[in-house]
Amino acid sequence: MKLLTLSKYIISLCILVVVVGCKPKAEVPVQFVEADIEVNIYPDYKDIVVPPNIAPLNFIVRDSIATAYVVQFTGKGQELLAAADDDAVIRIDTAEWRSLLMGNKGNDVSVDIYAKRPNGWIHYKPYKISIAEEPIDAFLSYRLIEPGYELYRQLGIYQRNLTTFEEKPIYENNREYDDNNNHCINCHNYRMGSTESMLFHVRSNHGGTIIVQNGKAHKIQLKDSTIIASGVYPSWHPTVNLVAFSTNKTGQAFHLYHPEKVEVLDAQSDLLLYDVTNNEVGHIIRTSDDLETFPCWSPDGRTLYYCSAGVKHLINPIVPDSLISQHLILKYDSIRYNLMSIPFDPESRSFGTPKVVINAAEEEKSISVPRVSPDGRYVLYTKGDYGQFHIWHKSSDLWVMDLEKDTCYALAESNSPDVDSFHSWSSNGRWFVFSSRRMDGNYTRPYIAYFDKQGRAHKAFVLPQEDPEWNILLLKSYNVPELSKDAVLISPKELHQCIYETEGEQAAYKANPTAIVNLDGTTGASPKVDAEEVLSDGLKQ
Amino acid sequence: MKQRTSSPKQKQVNISSSASTRESFLNRRIPILPVFFLLTWLWAAWYYGTVFYISREYSIWVADVRIMDFVLNQSYGILRYIGRAMLQLYKYPWLGGLLLALMLTAGSWLAGYCMRLRPSWRILQYLPALSYIAVVTYHGFDIFFEAWTGLIFGIPFVVLTVLCIWAIIIRSFSRKPAPTFVGIPTDETPRQNRLQLAIIAVCLMAIIGFDMWQRPYVRVVCKLLDMEYKQDWSGIQKLARSNSKMSNRPMACAYAIALVQTGQIAERMYDIRLDYDSLHIHGMDWTHNNASPLYLPEGNYYGGFIESSLRASMEQMVMTGPTIRLLKIMIKCALMREEWELAEKYLSILRRVPFEGTFCKKYGAMMRRTDLVNSDPEMAMIRLTEPLHDSFESQYQQPLFMGYNLALVEGRSRNALINSLCVCLYTKLMPQFLERLEPLVGTTPPGIIMDGILLAENKNPGISQHFTGINFRQPQFQSFLQNIQPYMSDRPGHAYELFPKYKGYYPYYYFFGNLKATKKGYTGITTSNSGVN
Repeated sequence: MKLLTLSKYIISLCILVVVVGCKPKAEVPVQFVEADIEVNIYPDYKDIVVPPNIAPLNFIVRDSIATAYVVQFTGKGQELLAAADDDAVIRIDTAEWRSLLMGNKGNDVSVDIYAKRPNGWIHYKPYKISIAEEPIDAFLSYRLIEPGYELYRQLGIYQRNLTTFEEKPIYENNREYDDNNNHCINCHNYRMGSTESMLFHVRSNHGGTIIVQNGKAHKIQLKDSTIIASGVYPSWHPTVNLVAFSTNKTGQAFHLYHPEKVEVLDAQSDLLLYDVTNNEVGHIIRTSDDLETFPCWSPDGRTLYYCSAGVKHLINPIVPDSLISQHLILKYDSIRYNLMSIPFDPESRSFGTPKVVINAAEEEKSISVPRVSPDGRYVLYTKGDYGQFHIWHKSSDLWVMDLEKDTCYALAESNSPDVDSFHSWSSNGRWFVFSSRRMDGNYTRPYIAYFDKQGRAHKAFVLPQEDPEWNILLLKSYNVPELSKDAVLISPKELHQCIYETEGEQAAYKANPTAIVNLDGTTGASPKVDAEEVLSDGLKQ
Repeated sequence: MKQRTSSPKQKQVNISSSASTRESFLNRRIPILPVFFLLTWLWAAWYYGTVFYISREYSIWVADVRIMDFVLNQSYGILRYIGRAMLQLYKYPWLGGLLLALMLTAGSWLAGYCMRLRPSWRILQYLPALSYIAVVTYHGFDIFFEAWTGLIFGIPFVVLTVLCIWAIIIRSFSRKPAPTFVGIPTDETPRQNRLQLAIIAVCLMAIIGFDMWQRPYVRVVCKLLDMEYKQDWSGIQKLARSNSKMSNRPMACAYAIALVQTGQIAERMYDIRLDYDSLHIHGMDWTHNNASPLYLPEGNYYGGFIESSLRASMEQMVMTGPTIRLLKIMIKCALMREEWELAEKYLSILRRVPFEGTFCKKYGAMMRRTDLVNSDPEMAMIRLTEPLHDSFESQYQQPLFMGYNLALVEGRSRNALINSLCVCLYTKLMPQFLERLEPLVGTTPPGIIMDGILLAENKNPGISQHFTGINFRQPQFQSFLQNIQPYMSDRPGHAYELFPKYKGYYPYYYFFGNLKATKKGYTGITTSNSGVN
């Protein structure tokens, strides 16, 4: 293996030598023509707000007839030049870039691009980049996985240092196909943006939930006879050593003739509370007619937000349980989730009465993935036309609810016509990262957006890459982007040992006396239904 | 006419000259290595060239190590990477074959040198190369199907490299002279020389004999896939019909695609046997595979199910990494879905693959040009059978391109209706067939549909009167019914022998075709997941 790694390095080194050796000269042309045209660059880094600690925004200039390019960044008393030959890839010097950003915090940097065309140099219309005062959390972790639907093979959770281009694996599954060791990993999550407490799930072989605390990993098994499936979407409690999980019985169906490709939906789902210290699990909400998912604690730990959909009105009462998912899939575009909250007392660990925070179903919309801002004022969520797996819904957009003013609005500046979903706040609340399929409609890429003090989001930009074309060439999606202040310190080897060599300790089921258990009814998310109407409606079909 | 005569002296001279000729012939030694090179080149380029060509399509190589990380991060990744690079030459089988033959021959030469073989044992130097040819032939589809295609050239490359190093060491220390490569080894007797040649010829013939006897479908299917990629629809039909007794799903699918593309599905579908013999093909987990990944993306694509084809391709890409074949079909699907950026993404990768310029130029020109996409003959034909409304794959039996057509209630064109009727006949579901006949009332349906109507007449008297032209087929049908009576008690037992007589005739298929027990090599264990047999 060492030989292979060495070979890879040698090949990369050779390429680097060639690239560096042929680095074009960066010099602003003496003579040029002012062209009254907007420059077309990839990725689109025009007129954006960037954190002062972000890695260089390398990009490609798209001009079909130009053969050389010079880019001039001009800030407060500072200038940075970069150039490209006919490959049009502008690679910015990291040290100079850092100096430019640090020296221009809170200011704008003007970007002038010159292109050498057959008739001489032209100067495009300049654009600006605004440097924010506030930095973004330095680390972004994500899962890299093909946007496949049924199968998985090689995948891993990786951690990218946002201030550089360094990417390290947190954990990778088996690289070579092996029936006894193939496994999937998902849903990595940290407590309040700190990697000191971390978890993720392992599915299939070596299955279980991996909890990392105090630098040590251990495996647990949450599934119990009263729990419909294992733990899925997690949320660490900010002050007590608890994790809220959803438990979902998930299915999927593939469209035949539709702009969207797949519909993922839950036939059943509930919420769980897991006590990490005592390895005990119990229900928070357990209902048969409502689907609860995506739990998220408020930063004070006294409110649990979640999404809930009532599906009772969609299922004919005469349909047996075993066929419910097949019936639900036919009404997939009528399943709508509301944003709910339930009070929680961390001292007594008791829950109050759930309430509807946003009745999205009423406006024929559906909410998923609520994430409360670190200051507790905003709930950032995804809103789409139906369902909860908005990562495959083109209608999905990012919205916020201002809990102080009790208003909701779309983050129009950051949204796109394509999928904009799974999001994560920076610990200072001024940045958030989210998944978007806007680039090609299929492969998610992490986008970074500034969220100003007025609660307004700015134009989002894609995670910078050393080679900007990598966003096109990479055949994997960035899945579940999670920001963290610090790097994950536990090594892949230690995680490998924990996953492969331990069975996982079974969590003891301990019923919470204040849990909402209503196996014949709903929690309030379901619209009121006339049973007779449903029955007659069902018989008509 | 003058008769030729010869004097006794002349006779003596002739006899002695012919004896000396014979003697000189018997004493003549042949340069074995060049002959071996020629034979392996013929095998690698002409005989097995298409299989390697398809192996290349089921593989990918680009210089960018980041894209190739899925190969490089495997054990011996660098060797697999080199192997894949070499396989690229099989874009032109003569060229790929030339390299492979050179490597095998050079390996044999070096093996002889390194092992210091005496002339009587020199045949052993060909053992690694012959073993390689035998192993490749034995594996058949498995050399590329969900397999690590880098090994095809990777293994000979490793062997050659090891032998080179070994030879250099020997040469450095013992100064042993290298044997001739193109000339005749001086230390061999003519007998030893001929024996070597005979053993090589026998081995190669045995390997080819095994291939023809045990894996006859491998080369045929690969040729069909090659023609499919080149859109050689008449070539597919010709080849499939000339191998009509051979029966497997990839071949049936390629044949059906060619017929659909040329509008002959309802005329010539039953010209080949459709019983589906057992194939030697294994998946990544080394269990027997039903070979559906060989045809599912293409079947869905040409059936008008673009989303499903894209999905099936994506699922395969997850398992095997990107391949030239998958990228090409995904580019076409993305173009048809007007997902321009997605098409551009896949094209960006394919452009980095050597020798793929023609494909990239053709389909790159269609970028953001719906008019060009819709006027492409292949895509225009596919558009005719796209679903009218959305539904979910899970609502239909698998494979989808069959299951959907069984449930079709509303089609985009006459082609969609014909496809649906053909699937109903293929699955022998006559009630569904009859339900879909109405739009053809008053017309002369295609031959197979007419035969289907005649078959349905038994339970639905008078139905044929709603169509024109059917009466002409009545005598043939009655005669068929009479002739098959003796065979009806044991239909599976007689299916194979009756096929040549009734090839192309739907009623034969209805009674004798696609019966489980008819399959060659049928073990009674179902290995297929297909909902529609």
